Amino acid sequence: MPIGPPFTPDYRKGQLTAIRKLRKNPRVLFVRLPYILSLVCIVAGIAWLLLLPLDEYSRRTYISENALLPGQVHAYFSGSEQHVFRGYKQELEGLIPGEDQEKGVSKADAQFTSEVSNKVQSILSAAGLKVATQAYEYTSSGITHQGENTYAIIRAPRGDATEAIVLVAAWRTADDELNLNGVTLALTLARYFKRWSLWSKDIIFLFPPDSKTGTQAWIDAYHDMQPASVQPLPLKSGALQGGVAMEYPFDHRFESLHISYDGVNGQLPNLDLFNTAVSIASGQMGIGANLQEMWNHNDSYEMRLQTMLRGMVKQGFGYATGAHSSFMPYHIDAITLKTKGEGWQDEMALGRTVEGLCRSLNNLLEHLHQSFFFYLLMQTNRFVSIGTYLPSAMLIAGNFTIMAIALWMRTGFDMDTQSGPTAVSTSAPKEKTSSSSEARSSKEKESATPSPEPSGIMERQLALPLTLVGGLHLLGLVPLYVFNNLSYKVSPIPQVQQLNSMTFLSISNKQQHYTMATYICIAANAILPTLLAAVLSSLGFTTPKPQQYLLIKSFSLLLLGLFLSTLATLNFSLSFMIGLLCAPLTFVSRLNPQTTSVGLRYALSTIGLLVLNLLSPPVVLLGLCWYTGVSVEHVLTQAAFGWDVWGMWTQVVVWCVWWPAWISGCALLGFSLF
Amino acid sequence: MAVDRKAAVFLAAHALRLLLALFFPSLPNLLTGRVEVSTPITSFKRLQEGLYLYQRNVSPYDGGVYHQAPILLPLFSLLPNANMSPLITAIFFSLVDLVNADALITIADSGQAVSGRFYTALRKHIRWDGLSIAAWFLFNPFTIATCLGRSTAVFTTTGILYAMSNAVSGNSLNAMLALGFASYLSIYPALLFIPLVLLCYDQRAQKPTPPGMASFAIKHFMIFLFSIAGLLGVSSLIVDDFPQFVSATYGFQLLVPDLTPNVGLWWYFFIEIFDSFREFFLGVFWLHLAAYVGGMTVRIRRQPLFVLTSLLGIFAIFKPYPSISDASLYFALLPLYRHLFPLMRYTFFAISAILYATLLGPAFYYLWIYAGSGNANFFYAITLVWSLGLSILLADIIFAALRDEWEYDNPEIRGKDVRQV
Repeated sequence: MPIGPPFTPDYRKGQLTAIRKLRKNPRVLFVRLPYILSLVCIVAGIAWLLLLPLDEYSRRTYISENALLPGQVHAYFSGSEQHVFRGYKQELEGLIPGEDQEKGVSKADAQFTSEVSNKVQSILSAAGLKVATQAYEYTSSGITHQGENTYAIIRAPRGDATEAIVLVAAWRTADDELNLNGVTLALTLARYFKRWSLWSKDIIFLFPPDSKTGTQAWIDAYHDMQPASVQPLPLKSGALQGGVAMEYPFDHRFESLHISYDGVNGQLPNLDLFNTAVSIASGQMGIGANLQEMWNHNDSYEMRLQTMLRGMVKQGFGYATGAHSSFMPYHIDAITLKTKGEGWQDEMALGRTVEGLCRSLNNLLEHLHQSFFFYLLMQTNRFVSIGTYLPSAMLIAGNFTIMAIALWMRTGFDMDTQSGPTAVSTSAPKEKTSSSSEARSSKEKESATPSPEPSGIMERQLALPLTLVGGLHLLGLVPLYVFNNLSYKVSPIPQVQQLNSMTFLSISNKQQHYTMATYICIAANAILPTLLAAVLSSLGFTTPKPQQYLLIKSFSLLLLGLFLSTLATLNFSLSFMIGLLCAPLTFVSRLNPQTTSVGLRYALSTIGLLVLNLLSPPVVLLGLCWYTGVSVEHVLTQAAFGWDVWGMWTQVVVWCVWWPAWISGCALLGFSLF
Repeated sequence: MAVDRKAAVFLAAHALRLLLALFFPSLPNLLTGRVEVSTPITSFKRLQEGLYLYQRNVSPYDGGVYHQAPILLPLFSLLPNANMSPLITAIFFSLVDLVNADALITIADSGQAVSGRFYTALRKHIRWDGLSIAAWFLFNPFTIATCLGRSTAVFTTTGILYAMSNAVSGNSLNAMLALGFASYLSIYPALLFIPLVLLCYDQRAQKPTPPGMASFAIKHFMIFLFSIAGLLGVSSLIVDDFPQFVSATYGFQLLVPDLTPNVGLWWYFFIEIFDSFREFFLGVFWLHLAAYVGGMTVRIRRQPLFVLTSLLGIFAIFKPYPSISDASLYFALLPLYRHLFPLMRYTFFAISAILYATLLGPAFYYLWIYAGSGNANFFYAITLVWSLGLSILLADIIFAALRDEWEYDNPEIRGKDVRQV
C-alpha cells in the first residue's frame, strides 16, 4: 500500500476546507452567524403567523364535549312570551326619562337608577326568584365608579345547588349603549326558565349597571375575593360552569349575532362554548354569527388574516371586551352575544339562542375542559390551536436568546484573542487554532496563558453589566407606578362619575395629566440612554471595556428572551407584539471606535437613536392613538382602570420587560457617541 | 471598619426584608402558599395549625396536617400570633437569616474552601471575602422568598451551616450537636455525617497528638446520636404520644405520602407509580440519594467541605420534598468555590436554565391550577428543567474541582486541554 494522503472525494475536500476555514476564522461563527440566525428566526416567526389562515394550517372547529349536544333540543321560548317581554319593556321604559331636547337629556343616556333596580327586583321576585343586591365602588385615576348589582337565582329543581350558570344583562353595553332590550329579555327569560323543571344547575340572572365594573365586583364577591369597597354577596350558589352575556342595544330587529370572547389579560373561554354558541345560532336558529367585528367575512385569506390579527390585538392589549371578560380569571368560561345590523330576527330569536345555550350548559357533567383554551379564531368555524401558532412567538423570543448566547460566547472568544498574543511566546501556534472550539472559548483561559502561575486567568467582568441591566429593570417600576397612580383630575374635588365612560372623552381636553406624562416620558426616554452613556463613560473608574458592552447586550437580550417566552405561554399575542417591537434591539450595538471613523460613528448612532426613539413605548402608544383616533387620556385612564379593577398586567410587561430592554439598546448606541 | 461593613450589610438585608413585609402585606401569605417555597414539611401554614392544636392541649399531630418537629411549637408559642402581628414573625425569620449569614462568614473566612489539610487550590487568591458571600446569600431572591414565606426549612439550614462553621473552626463537639439538631428537624442532614466528621478530623489532625481516625469517628458518632436522642427526649416531654410523633414526622419524611407538587422529582413519579411498586421505588430513591455520600467522600477525600457543599446541591435536586430554600443553601455555599469558577464551562447555560425555570414554573403552575388551561405535565416539565439547571451547575463545579485537583497533582500538564469522557 502506498503511504500517502488518503483518497478523498472532491466534495469531501470542499467540506473539509470549509470547516478548516471556519476554524481559522471563528469570527464568522461568533459575529456574523448569530445575526443571520436571529434574522432568520424573526422572518420565520412572521412568516409562520402569515401561513396560519391557510386551509392547510388551520382547522375546522368541532365540539369536543359530547354532553353539550348543541341544537339538539327544541327551544320553546316564543309566542306568548313575547307579550310578557313587551309588558316588561313598557314597565321599564316608564322609568326612563323621555327624550328632552332642551335639557339635552337623551333616552340613550339613561342610568341604572334605584327605581329601575327596584322594578327589576320586583319583577324577579314576582316571578318567584330569590333576589339580592350588591353595592360597590371603585376608585381609579381619581374617578369614582359606583353602582349596584341586582341579581336573582333560580334554584335547580333537579340539582343540589353545587353548580350554576350565569346570564348577564348589563344595563349599559360594553360600548356604553342602553341595553334595554337585553335587560328585558333577561327578565322574560327568568320568568320563563323558572317554570321549567329540567334545570340541573342553578341559573343566576345578573343585572349590573354597566359592563366594566359590575360583573367584576360581582364575580370577585362571589369568590370572596372582593376589595373592601365592594359589598359581599348575600346570596350565592354553587360553582359557576359558564356565563352568557346578552346585549341588544337598539329597538329594531337585528340581522346577526356578534360573539365576543376575549377575557382580561388575553385569557380565552373554552373553545367548546364558542362553538356551541355558533352552532346554535347559525345551525339551529339560522342567525348569522360574527366575530371580531368582521361584518363581511367572505372566508378569503385576507379576511381570515384580518380576523386573526384583530383577535391578537385584543388579546395582546388584554383589556376586558365586555361583561363576560371578568369571569375568565376565575376559570369560568363566558361569552357575550350582541345583536347587530338590521334584519328580520326579533328578540325572541335571541331568547331562543340563549335558551339553547343554557340547555347545552345544563347538560354538562363536568366543567368545560375538553376543548382548547389557547386558540386563534379566523372565522366562526376555523381556528388554529396553540401547538400550531406558538412556534411563531417562540421563534421571535428565541432570536433574543440566540443572540444572548452568541454574545456570551463571543466575549470568551475575544478574550482568547486578546490574551493570545501576550502568551504566544511559550504556547505553540497549534494551541491557538484549537482555541476556536466553542467549549474552549467559553471556558477560561488558562491554556492560552500557559504560565504555571494561575494569575493569567482572565474572567469576564460581570459586575457593571449585571448592575446596569438589573437596575434598569427595577427602574421600570417608576413609570409603572406613575402611570397607574396618576390622578385624572378635572377639579380639586374628586368627581363622582356615574358609570359613564363616554364622558372620559368629552372632558379630556380640560387638563391632561396623562398626555403631559406621556410627553415627559418621551423626553426622558430620549435623554436617559445618552445621559447614562455619558455618565458611565466620563466617570473614569467605571468606563466599560469593549467586552462589557457585549455583556450588557447579552444580559439584556437574555432577560428579554426569557420574559417573552414565558409570556408567550400566558398571552401569546402580547409576547408576539412586544417581540416584534423589540426586534431591532438584536441588531443594535455599540459602534467600535477603532473600526468606524468618527463622522460615520456619530451619524450612524444618531440615526439609530432617532429610529429607536420612534419605537419607544410612549411613542408607540401615541402612534397607536393617532392611528385609531382615540385620545391618549382615554387609553391611559382605561389602562389604569384595568390595573386597579380588572387586575390587568399589560403595563407590567411594557414597563418591566419592554422598556428596560429598549433603554439598554439605546444606551449601547449612546456609548458610541463617547 | 470590618465590623461596620458587616453591620451595614446585615442591617440592609434586615431592612429589605422588613420593608418588603411592610409595604406588601400580602406578600408573606402569598409566598407561604406557593408550592415552590413551602413543602408539607416546612410550611408555615401547617406550623400555625400545629401551634393552634398545641396551645389548646390537643396533640399537634391530630388531623394529619402538621409534620414538623415538636420543638418548634414551644418556640413559636413564645412569639405572638403571626396573623395578629405579622411583623414580629417577619423580624424573627429575618434574624434567623442573619444568623445563617454569620455562620457563612465564619466558614468563608476560615479559608477551608481553598486550602485544607491535604490540599491547597491552585487559584486560591481568587476568592471573595466572607462578607461578600454573606451578602450574596442575604440578597439572593430565593433566600428572601424563603424568609418572607416563613419556611421552617431555615432552621435546618441553620443547623447545617453551624455544623459546618464549627467544623471548620475546630469545635467538633458543637459541629456534631448542630448536625444533630438539623437531622432531628429533617432527617436528610444525617447523610452529611461522614464528610463532616472527616472535616472535623482534618482540623483535629493538624493539631498536636491527633487521635486515631476510627476512635475519633466513633466518638463523634456517639455525640451525634446523643444529641438526637436528647432532642427526641425533649420532644417526648412536649408531645404525649411518642409513636404518633415519630410516624407523623419521620415516617412522613421517609415514606413520602404527601404528593403535593413541589420543585422536586419525586411527587410526579409516585403519583404515576402503581401502588404495588411503591415501596420498592421508595427504597430505590432513598438509596440513590444516600449513594452519593460514599462515592463523593472517597473521590474528593481531600476536600471534605466541597463534598458537603456538593451533597447539599444533590439534596436540593433529589430529596423528597425540596423547595427553593434548599437551592438557596446550595447557592449560598457555591461562592466559597469562587476559585473554581474560571474552570467551569456551562455556567451561562445552567444559570439560563435556572432563570427560565424560575419564570416558567409559576407561569405553568398558574396555567395548571388557576387558569385550568394547562395540566400537571406543564409544571412537571419545568421542575425537570429546574433540576437540569441545578444538575449542570453541580456537575460543572465537581468537574472544576476534579480538574483543579488534577492540575495540582500533575504540574507538567497544567493548562492543557482536557476532555471529559
